[in-house]
Amino acid sequence: MDLTPSTRKEMAAVLREASAAGRVVDIRGAGLHARRGRPFTADEVISTRGLTRLVDHVPDDMTITVEGGMTVQEVQGAAAAHRQGWPQAPAEPGVTVGGVLAAAVSGRRRLRFGPIRDSLLEVVVATGDGRIVKGGGRTVKTVTGYDLPRLLTGSLGTLGVIVQATLRLWPLPMAETWFGATGDDAAMLDLGQQVIADLHRPTAIVASPSALHVCLTGVPDDVVAPPGMQPGGEPHGPVGAGLVQVGVPPVALPALARRLAADGQDYEAWLGTGICHVAVASAGEVAAVRDLAALHGGHAQVIDGDDPLRADPFGPPPPGADIMRRIKDAFDPAGILCPGRFAGAEAVPA
Amino acid sequence: MTTAATGLADHLRDLLGPDRVLEGDLARSLYSHDGSIVDGACGLVVLPETTEEVSACMRMAHAAGVEVTPRGSGTGLTGGAVPLDGGLVVSLARMRAMDQVDVANSCVWVQPGVLNLDVSTAVAHLGLHYAPDPSSQQACSIGGNVGTNAGGPHCLAYGVTVQHVMGVEMVRPDGEVVVLGGVAPDPPGYDLRGVVVGAEGTVGVVTRVLLRLTPLPPDVRTMLLDFTTVADASAVVQGVIAEGVIPAALEMMDRNMTLAVEEFVHAGLPTDAAALLLVEVDGTEAEVTTATAVVERVAREHGVRTVRVARDEDERALLWKARKTAFGAVARVKPSYYLHDCVVPRTKLVEIMEAIGEITEREGVMCLNVFHAGDGNLHPIIALDRSDPDETARAMRAGDQIVRACVAMGGTLSGEHGIGVEKRDYMPLVFDHDDLEAQACVRRAFDHSGRMNPDKVLPTGTRCGEVGLADAQVPEGTWI
Repeated sequence: MDLTPSTRKEMAAVLREASAAGRVVDIRGAGLHARRGRPFTADEVISTRGLTRLVDHVPDDMTITVEGGMTVQEVQGAAAAHRQGWPQAPAEPGVTVGGVLAAAVSGRRRLRFGPIRDSLLEVVVATGDGRIVKGGGRTVKTVTGYDLPRLLTGSLGTLGVIVQATLRLWPLPMAETWFGATGDDAAMLDLGQQVIADLHRPTAIVASPSALHVCLTGVPDDVVAPPGMQPGGEPHGPVGAGLVQVGVPPVALPALARRLAADGQDYEAWLGTGICHVAVASAGEVAAVRDLAALHGGHAQVIDGDDPLRADPFGPPPPGADIMRRIKDAFDPAGILCPGRFAGAEAVPA
Repeated sequence: MTTAATGLADHLRDLLGPDRVLEGDLARSLYSHDGSIVDGACGLVVLPETTEEVSACMRMAHAAGVEVTPRGSGTGLTGGAVPLDGGLVVSLARMRAMDQVDVANSCVWVQPGVLNLDVSTAVAHLGLHYAPDPSSQQACSIGGNVGTNAGGPHCLAYGVTVQHVMGVEMVRPDGEVVVLGGVAPDPPGYDLRGVVVGAEGTVGVVTRVLLRLTPLPPDVRTMLLDFTTVADASAVVQGVIAEGVIPAALEMMDRNMTLAVEEFVHAGLPTDAAALLLVEVDGTEAEVTTATAVVERVAREHGVRTVRVARDEDERALLWKARKTAFGAVARVKPSYYLHDCVVPRTKLVEIMEAIGEITEREGVMCLNVFHAGDGNLHPIIALDRSDPDETARAMRAGDQIVRACVAMGGTLSGEHGIGVEKRDYMPLVFDHDDLEAQACVRRAFDHSGRMNPDKVLPTGTRCGEVGLADAQVPEGTWI
């Protein structure tokens, strides 16, 4: 069987057959966010890379509709031709639209532009039992029916395969620059806090153990180096065997980062948002980071790592886990889509 | 099951006392209506003041198998807060407490009965505001805003309610209390918070809401532009955004509406203009200066007659008063109105305005337009006298044709008011059977019993698998 379907109907048919046969499937775009959620064993891997068409782009409406296997870079390219962009998306090369939506990967510009879920207007998925389901709408504003786009964002391929997405685009800014400074962690965090206090709507303030990166966006007069900073590139992100994403109340982030630095752990703290990515080397470190996050009023989930690192990727079951399980059962009645992967799933029976 | 003959009223009185359980004819009649033209049937009303009381009421309703409709201020325009079949109304209007503002994290927990405008008023001294600003913001409640995922003029740049609700506390249909979301971003699991916002009270009763507060912009400029054709005004809407400027708000008003509003507010609006644009830009001083120049240039390219820039806060407030009292001003024309909330792609504005003009002229009804032009969110208001059955019938027919025209142009049914009862049976225009069934399954995952605000949002016959939602027939005698 062709496991790289080239139309949504083929995708639905493949899933319908897998459901009928009880074959467990994994869904793969570029594979850059595949190591998320609880490990499970798949009988086969279905690729979205046959679904790469640009379906509709209306520059004057600032919306673009693409298939799920198209890359974020391709979307940005099509948008840029009309001086538009998708600022909520992450910048990693090769990553697919379906991938970043399914994994809810927001880009570093989140502080100004919000999380990626806010950019998804309409979504079309092929469910586990091979139905094609659309939710949301292509207009920039809609409250017509239940919010399937938000439900699908971050569902990790457990509810369906995102075969098509309509995204809200934004004008490219007149000016945008990353600024950098280096110094010890405490000085960088203080400098970052100062930028938050001084500036109206900075785009990104990224603190790491020995550097601070600030992105400013807007009219040229506003895009000037904050005191103590120089123009430079984007940060590279923490490096380790695995990565944990911490979410804490924004005000708690500097204290959490200071503690990580004291423990010698590499991190990237998005000041003002409460998000921090932490490099981890072992399941023990995952647990330690989670304890630290909980101490600061937040949570931690493993967003990259091999199977042993992801033995407990989410921590305690989320509130409403029974609701989540019923939604999962409705979208994937045979339980073939990445079973056990999502938070709230009970251990998969052997 | 209706509330009668269950003994439920006695249990509720034991819990809340006689003053907070309303059973009289007057109360039941009042709570059978909201801001829409839907007439429902209310069996009983409770006025809880705490989450614990809501939870206890819900447990009793659960035990009695009674249907529950949550209600905020009752300003909704689609019948979402109207019980249709003699069920229990849980009014959250007395739950008006706000926690202390979490200034460091720019957020605040509030009870659902808190009025929208009261939030911004309460936090203004901290340099913060609550961005979504429905025109009814002096009267509508946060709980209702959450139910309908409410919008408002400033949602063009700032986003709708769901983007400003960080968390909700909700009493589930069986009385259990659950907290979804919170100050810490991106909690593990599906985004149930995102589903609850905009679910129109069909998944539970929201009892506390964590609102994101937004810094007040350092600079604001408000402009009133007037045009001799709707097409010119629409071209400016398109042109400004094409230049890369997203104004904080970009509102249009047609001549009929301008006449009604000016008589009411006396804001010095040019009543001979075919269309007015109210444009607000905000941000840093440099951003505002740049955006203002773009707006003025594009407006002049499209034949603007005058550009009136508000000189001070008083004039700005007056211009916004003219915009936000527009619905009320319709009362000077006719005693009632029938309003739609469709959205079209921004590129279809001229086309849809022409279509609305043709439809309402053909049906012989008066239509006034005031709407969020920047995001294509229309509000054609058909003025009518409901005591005139012929006019009412024509208004209904015109409304129906307007909805269909919007959908045919690639639009959708509602931008910010929700579906309720009134748009419910239009859902198959935008969603097919499988789409609607999937939505029914999401709803059922929250409310297995089908007792939460039944007969709303999803059309008759929509089922999740083999098990139907509550029998989604509009009861006989319901007037839509």
